[in-house]
Amino acid sequence: MNLILFFLAALGIPLLSTAQDTAPIIQSFRLVNSHPEIGFSLTPSAQKYRVLLSPILSSTPGSASTEASGTLAGSIWTSSLPVFNNTAFFQVVATQLTEAEVTAGTLLNRIAYGPTPDELPRVRQMGIDAYIEEQLAPEKIEESLDTPPITGPIWRKVTVSGNGSASRLYIYLDGPGDAYLDDLRLVTGNSDPGTGPNLIANGDFEQSLSTNNWQLTPNVTQSARTTDFVHSGEIAFHLASAAGGSSAGDSVVQDIRPALSTSQTYTLSFWYLTQPGKSTLTIRLSGSGVAATTRINGDTESPSPYYAALNSGPIAGATLNTLRAWHLLHAVQSRRQLSEIVRQFLENHFVTQYTKSYDYLDSSGGLPSEIAASEATRLEFKENIRWRDALLNPNCTFSDLLKISAESPAMIIYLDTVNSRGDVNSTTRTNRIANENYGRELCELFTFGVDNGYDQGDIVQISRVWTGWTVELLNTNQVNNPFASRSAQYINPSVTNLTERNRATNLVGAWSFRYRAERHDPRTKWIFYNKAADGSILTSSPKRVPDRFGPPWAGLPYGLQLTNGSTTNGIQDGYRLLTHMANQPFTQEYISVKLCRLLVHEDFHHGYDFTDDITSPEEDLVKACMLAWENPSAHSRKGQINDVLRVILHSKLFRSHLAAAAKVRTPLEFAASTLRAFRARLEDGTYTAITDAPNLADGILNKAGRMRLFDRAEPDGYPEDGAGWISAGTLAERLRFVQSLALAGANLSTTPAVRGTADSVGSGRINPSGLLSLKLGLDAASPEAVTDYLLDLLFYTEGQANLQAVRQVALQFLNTADDGSTSSPFSKLASGSRTYDGRVRGLVALLLSLPRFQEQ
Amino acid sequence: MNTPNILTRRSFLGTSAGMAATAAMGCLSSVPIFVQKALAEGTIGRPNGNGRVKKLLFIFLRGANDGLNNIIPHGDSAYGPGIRDSLAIPVDPAETWNRRGPSLFPQAGANGGSFDYPYSIPLGNGFAGIHPSLKYLVPAYNAGEVALIHRVGYPRQSRSHFDSQSYWETGAPRNSNIRDGLLYRAMHESGLSSSNSLTGVSFQSSLPLSLRGSRAAMTNISDPTRYDLLGVPNNVEGNLKMARALDAANAAPFASKANREMLQQQYSNMARTLDIFASLDFSEAGNTFVDDEKTDGKKPYFLFPTTNEKNGAGLGGTGNPGYVVPSSAYGFFNQLKSAALVLNKTDAIVAGTQIDGWDTHSEQGGVLGQHANLLRRVGWSIYALRKYFKAYADKCRWDDLVVVTLSEFGRTTLENADNGTDHAEASVMYAAGGAIKGFRADVLGTVSHSGVFNCGPTDLVPWQTGMNGTLFQSSGRYLQRATDFRSVMGKLIRDHLGATPEQLNRIIPGYADPKEHLFAGGQQAADGVRVTGEPDII
Repeated sequence: MNLILFFLAALGIPLLSTAQDTAPIIQSFRLVNSHPEIGFSLTPSAQKYRVLLSPILSSTPGSASTEASGTLAGSIWTSSLPVFNNTAFFQVVATQLTEAEVTAGTLLNRIAYGPTPDELPRVRQMGIDAYIEEQLAPEKIEESLDTPPITGPIWRKVTVSGNGSASRLYIYLDGPGDAYLDDLRLVTGNSDPGTGPNLIANGDFEQSLSTNNWQLTPNVTQSARTTDFVHSGEIAFHLASAAGGSSAGDSVVQDIRPALSTSQTYTLSFWYLTQPGKSTLTIRLSGSGVAATTRINGDTESPSPYYAALNSGPIAGATLNTLRAWHLLHAVQSRRQLSEIVRQFLENHFVTQYTKSYDYLDSSGGLPSEIAASEATRLEFKENIRWRDALLNPNCTFSDLLKISAESPAMIIYLDTVNSRGDVNSTTRTNRIANENYGRELCELFTFGVDNGYDQGDIVQISRVWTGWTVELLNTNQVNNPFASRSAQYINPSVTNLTERNRATNLVGAWSFRYRAERHDPRTKWIFYNKAADGSILTSSPKRVPDRFGPPWAGLPYGLQLTNGSTTNGIQDGYRLLTHMANQPFTQEYISVKLCRLLVHEDFHHGYDFTDDITSPEEDLVKACMLAWENPSAHSRKGQINDVLRVILHSKLFRSHLAAAAKVRTPLEFAASTLRAFRARLEDGTYTAITDAPNLADGILNKAGRMRLFDRAEPDGYPEDGAGWISAGTLAERLRFVQSLALAGANLSTTPAVRGTADSVGSGRINPSGLLSLKLGLDAASPEAVTDYLLDLLFYTEGQANLQAVRQVALQFLNTADDGSTSSPFSKLASGSRTYDGRVRGLVALLLSLPRFQEQ
Repeated sequence: MNTPNILTRRSFLGTSAGMAATAAMGCLSSVPIFVQKALAEGTIGRPNGNGRVKKLLFIFLRGANDGLNNIIPHGDSAYGPGIRDSLAIPVDPAETWNRRGPSLFPQAGANGGSFDYPYSIPLGNGFAGIHPSLKYLVPAYNAGEVALIHRVGYPRQSRSHFDSQSYWETGAPRNSNIRDGLLYRAMHESGLSSSNSLTGVSFQSSLPLSLRGSRAAMTNISDPTRYDLLGVPNNVEGNLKMARALDAANAAPFASKANREMLQQQYSNMARTLDIFASLDFSEAGNTFVDDEKTDGKKPYFLFPTTNEKNGAGLGGTGNPGYVVPSSAYGFFNQLKSAALVLNKTDAIVAGTQIDGWDTHSEQGGVLGQHANLLRRVGWSIYALRKYFKAYADKCRWDDLVVVTLSEFGRTTLENADNGTDHAEASVMYAAGGAIKGFRADVLGTVSHSGVFNCGPTDLVPWQTGMNGTLFQSSGRYLQRATDFRSVMGKLIRDHLGATPEQLNRIIPGYADPKEHLFAGGQQAADGVRVTGEPDII
């Protein structure tokens, strides 16, 4: 036997360039039954591995000429031939996805809340640069999510299967309201091809109601046949409910003849007309057999009702969950995905806390708790709307966004500016000590970054700036006037008692920023100046930008003297300080690093020495962002967000393997991307995934690490790193969520626990069978086609060759019965049948439970 | 490097204990030689002669606890309404507040209110008192099982919550290069972190920095009752099919990526935890632990108040004066119960949770109010844990446990214009346990050891009274530290958990550095402040 050699042809992780071949590192070599076996490290995004044989040693990948035949299992290749007679060099060669292909995936995972079955092919087709430019111009993307749909009511069909638990059928609503129904059918079997005999008498309501078919019990006596809206034939049924029903005494009832069998499966189908409102329609057999519960609001997924509630007065009763639902539905549905990502970044960066606003409005504002809840929600909503609108300006700057945060009543309350005073206390005859909370976080968290260009002395000076910034209930036409007085427009002007009359609950208006000059500390502020040994400020010695920043910043003085005095001019102290801080190199660095962590990977740090001779790609990218910030592309305003984003999204680093799948999804990203992954538009305008947005906020977002949107207590915002979110407990919740979602809506059994647990997903649903039949047509019966479609949708940047092992597991899963052992070829299952659907849902649950799905 | 084999086959299936041992051995034998040597040191996590292991329970008071409102320096003439108009706690005019001897336990008042007593509760050193909301600390104090350590901090104190919390959690102040946690390193040094399924555990919303590290996954659990796996269909067969497929899929290798090693560790950790939790009852129905005596003379109270019925006198109704903790604390006590259960029933060495909300910039309150409500949680926690580990001990007795609190810094001595306090420097730490050296008095009543540290005129770094004294020692605004928190943690990790001095120097980087004076005390080089070194608490 001759000696067999192998060599290592590449070190480290190759960056992407073109579709060039790379050589993975060979890690082991041995003979198994005299067959060579090579173990190697997998190459990111490998579409294909080949093992080449060469008689000569060469370091150029692919230069060896002969492809050796063998089998690949994971990262182990075994030769199909025994040892060779001549000396040979083995080389493993990987063919990777191209940079453009990988970046398409990275883009959908970073500047969007994950790929969708419709977006993935669209972005691949239009190309990454076009997609980036599209998303950087949200003002040009048509968006009407917040506008109520103008289409009238439409007929929708519902089909469910279950056993014949009893022969009595009930129809009822969950409260007072109306519904229109037509063409009820109940047939034997687990599907309704539309031909079998209808077991329901007069299911199309073409005949008169009688005790032989439909009986009306007390809650529904106003119900009748109608010609107003009809699905087919001449007549439909108008269900008019005076109160909610539940069973025999309060619903529309039919006793089915002949009696049904409990051991038999039946399928119920019917049509209903969509209605505004929240009514839930139930049609079911007595007992726990066939049952359909449907919200007849045709567009339960539209954020428009939430938007309307948030935009109207407190009477509409918007709660924090209204806002969360609105936010989540935008994350899932908006076409302006980058804008949504950036807005969430801003909401998290300029963090404020609903509960603190609520407490303030409840205790100091004199509002009853329900109105305080609604108003506190609206404070969060308004700052988000202002950011959203600001981002529609293509030249939007960081300074614009910072000012929105500073002026937001939610922020003024959150960091205690609202009660901070610096005027002279008449008793002590000294200036009151201003609250430092906002001043400190403004430096540490919102602009410069911790210990970056400021010290405690600066915070004391800055705290004096933020005196007099309060909130007040202002008349609605005065909400943008910080000098306006408290609203004096009365809801009930006839109240004579002055205290009662001026109560917050008797005033028309909105809680807004109000500047109170009489509370302001009018003394001169010397901010960012050096101090003498005794702590006194050296007014001729402003601080200078440290050397580590290099040109053009190093050595520039950045002291700021504020002398705006005690009149209403004192408000200018704040605005001048914000403008000054917004474009300092410290802010440029801190915000650029945070954006890089958001979009590229976690491993960016503060405090690089930009004058180093040798710099990392991360450091270079931060500096490139800062230069783009410093040198605006349009107009003269520094800090244009689009300039910085463009630099990041076009960087080599963003388009490399170091960014692809390198981050962990936050709970928000996880929930939104799970639903998006299965959300394709069907021909009738509905979707293959339904988002129960209020439930997501209370459910997975809260349970998988307490991501309480708009209500974080700590001002540092939620973490962007994976280790901050992933632990045994949060993973258990994430798995439970995706498994519950795959179970919910499945038609596996009549036992709720076997069908799924509503506590995890509420009325959220995915319909993977529907998705597969839409996208694959006849191929939806092929286990290979189904597996490959799902792997591509969920994990394609891994590369097909790296997904080989998971693919084998998936195929095995599809071809095995629910008992886990009996062979049951998937291709033999009727597409759309109960067994088919259960099998597909099982596979979906499996794939979504893998660690790779935690990544983005 | 590949990151293969994310879940062991056994993990989800829970069938073969033998395989777990094999897996553990595999992990241990792959540890580099120099680390293995370290693992052989010390006794962290090793049973003593009695067969039991020394354990630690931590409670992080996040937001910065106003130490001056915990252990109150009544002996300092400068303390009072003059500097704390709405906050100052008065002493009982009918009581000799500065007497030496055991503390008093104020019984519930005539109207049945647990916290009717509106005065500071005197401690044994003749100088300090505790806030009346801490009254349930008194039984442990008088039993000599709690140490009250005032003026704890670290050199060049950061007044940023986030920096300061991370310094407390990494044990490396002002060192941003150290990114893993102090307790994580202690668990790693035990050599058990890869073989024990649970070594360090937290019960809160996410894994705290103190338990994070790259070489082993500690466990955080937000709701231990939701640890199960759902198959499709969700029945025995469906779950088994899912578990098998998950194991098989997780054995697939993948290319290396930034977060993959971390995800792999946490997946295995989750799977192992799944097995263990199947045998523990974390449910509300399982919360049956009651006191062995009639607290407040009424009836035996539930130790972990998680519902109105289990809270204090149990009279029902909202805001019941007989409650021992505010009803908003039920979530916390559920987490605390879980931590206690895990320490008592499993091989976990460290467990803990946190109490949020200490950032009292406005309307802090005095005898009653925001801060008082937070203190009630602390007082009752120590009371309840002591009783639980005495009466319900299984793998861990009260003598085997130390309960320790942490908080990132203290708050300004002067009250601000919003009836609150701002960020400052030194704060307090509590350490409680059967082995803690607390209050001791001889039969004649002479106090040999007060259990109060750094809050008396004769302490090692004495409390200086007056407007130019200790209250305003730092920048004229704050309490300065007299003890470095690392000295407290270091003493507990070495003398209680069982680290060797060499291990301790790795767990708390630079512990042996003479310039830090963490062991014997002296002037710390970073800022010249004199500290006590390790306090005599165990």
